[in-house]
Amino acid sequence: MNVVLFNLSLLLYLLSTASYMFFLVLKKGLFGKVGYYLILSGCCIHLISTLARYFHAGYTPITNTYESLSFLSLCIAVFFLYLKRIYKIEILGCIISPVIFLMLLWASSFPSDIRPLPPVLDSFWLPIHTVFSFSGNAIFFTSFFISLIYLFVERGIKKKRFPSISARLPSLETLDLINYRCMSYGFPFLTVGIITGSIWANTAWGSYWSWDPKETWSFITWITYAILIHNRLAIGWRGRKTAYMMIIGFLFILITFLGVNFFAGGLHSYL
Amino acid sequence: MHIIVFGLNHNTAPIEIRERLFCSENDLPDLLKKLKDSGLNESVVVSTCNRTEIYFCSENPEECLSRIEPLLTEHFCVKDEWLKNYTYRFVDKDAYRHLFLVASGLDSMVIGEPQILGQVKDAYRIATFHNTTGFFLNKLFHKTFNVAKKIRTETRIGYNPLSISSMAIELSKKIFIELKQKKILVIGAGEMCEIALKNFKKEGLSDILITNRTLQNAKKLAEDITGIPYPFDNIPELLTKVDMVLSSTGSEKPIIDKELVISVMKKRRNRPLFFIDIAMPRDIDPEVNRIENVYLYDIDDLKELSVKHLSDRIKESEKAHAIVEEEVMNFSNWLKQLDKNPLITHIIESIEEIRLKELNKMLNKMKYSDEETQNNMDLLTKNIVNKIIYRHVSLIRQNGSPSTLDVMKQLFRFEEDNEKDMEGWDKGE
Repeated sequence: MNVVLFNLSLLLYLLSTASYMFFLVLKKGLFGKVGYYLILSGCCIHLISTLARYFHAGYTPITNTYESLSFLSLCIAVFFLYLKRIYKIEILGCIISPVIFLMLLWASSFPSDIRPLPPVLDSFWLPIHTVFSFSGNAIFFTSFFISLIYLFVERGIKKKRFPSISARLPSLETLDLINYRCMSYGFPFLTVGIITGSIWANTAWGSYWSWDPKETWSFITWITYAILIHNRLAIGWRGRKTAYMMIIGFLFILITFLGVNFFAGGLHSYL
Repeated sequence: MHIIVFGLNHNTAPIEIRERLFCSENDLPDLLKKLKDSGLNESVVVSTCNRTEIYFCSENPEECLSRIEPLLTEHFCVKDEWLKNYTYRFVDKDAYRHLFLVASGLDSMVIGEPQILGQVKDAYRIATFHNTTGFFLNKLFHKTFNVAKKIRTETRIGYNPLSISSMAIELSKKIFIELKQKKILVIGAGEMCEIALKNFKKEGLSDILITNRTLQNAKKLAEDITGIPYPFDNIPELLTKVDMVLSSTGSEKPIIDKELVISVMKKRRNRPLFFIDIAMPRDIDPEVNRIENVYLYDIDDLKELSVKHLSDRIKESEKAHAIVEEEVMNFSNWLKQLDKNPLITHIIESIEEIRLKELNKMLNKMKYSDEETQNNMDLLTKNIVNKIIYRHVSLIRQNGSPSTLDVMKQLFRFEEDNEKDMEGWDKGE
């Protein structure tokens, strides 16, 4: 059941990507709208599929690579829908829809069968720790793309070159504001994710912090975003500097999220 | 029935001629009436600073034109040769094409400019109000407005602005979220500033600070556009408050240099600052553009952008021309079909006959009503009749099956002698 729905949402994301590509090339607003509604419906079905899996398996389905990639893309989709509603940025869909689609496609290449929960994960902290961490990650994922758009627009304005597409791009101030929002939403999520993780670690492994690769890298990521927020609030870092910093932070998230799983091993390696 | 346009524009006539043949909105009814009296059933006059054109319908264009020309020379008090030397006339397809091009801004001096559509709409409105339009011109002008709208939405002909002030607005929209809450500082009180400011005000910008070397001039401009004047020495302090700076002074040396802006940006906590320097020589050191979160466009940048936008418009105009050609074909086919089909002509004529008969009856009863009421009644009945005719005509055209045609023929008492003409048409279709 959940896999069928999963595939359906994968298809909807694919259609949405196609629609957004038409929007980008033909510059017709209708395709942007269609793309948005396709993501919206894809996201709803994706959510139902995740819930179905939750009830079927009896535990929060964020325990292996398939499930975590799927959940991360769900979080990104939800956050995108939120941004789209508030800031009306059409162009973000052109980047987010293929990202979600590819991420789900990649997820579907991993085994999707429901296996009994490893005893170490069977905890009250599983949903709390994972949902907070993943939401934080999803928000910073999105802000990475926002930052890329910012740098692209900023460069166009500074160099006085205007590719025809830029008329549809949001203003620099909007992008910077979204980046700021990402910071102020994402950072608390990340922080709570790390704290609940360490409490859980204490009950599961007997130590709050054991410097395994995942912990180390998430600490580095956390420090990066902390510096970013400090600089913004204390010395008024804005615009390009924030965007660059967001991109660096995103690279650390990638290392934390994927690199550690695939290359480093350690305590978190069941993911 | 032929549709003809007769007129002149900025390509065929110099300004001295055009201004003599310009017909103001107040003057239009008089001219329309004269045209009607000369025997034109349907006419619309479009007159702007770049063109004066008369659209009319006639079975015999040449004869009509020979009547109109003397009427125009008399109306405008111009020489006969002028009308011969500076005008053009287009008939049927060329006329529809011309009107489509005019209304969509493709025939304008600044290609793609949007005002002309409004002017054509006004001209048509005045003509309908004075009862000088009928079945054919109504159809043509409605089609024209559709075509113009289609071109606006399907091509990017009017997309990129060309004027300095609208480009400045476009650029500031790329930097800021909403202009309404932004503040602008104007340095200099010249005419350029005033034009640009008026455009900014249209966008909802209301916080305007004005400074000038002679405070008196700043005060005067401030009064004109409801801004606040400040002494010239306050610039460093003002820069910390505003979001945009528009500069256009006659100063020989830059007024704002890099060091000043760097120190200002610290105080602003890096909130973005947009400089528009339309002075020559420049008021703002070009190095300023290198500072983070500071954007500077000088007059050359804006001109370059304008050239680029113009070439974009020219590229887009090819697409627009293709749309026009397609629509010219559509319209001319529609009209041809109408001409070919005696049944349709018969329907139009017999309904018109009923309309006139009934209208006159009613007008006789209402002898004491004023002219406006009578005109309105005429307009009302015309509109109703046109709408009803349109349904019949489209039914005949879409579904020309013998049974439908029979019903129609019975309904409108289509006579036997007309039957013969009809036969050929039936088979032809």
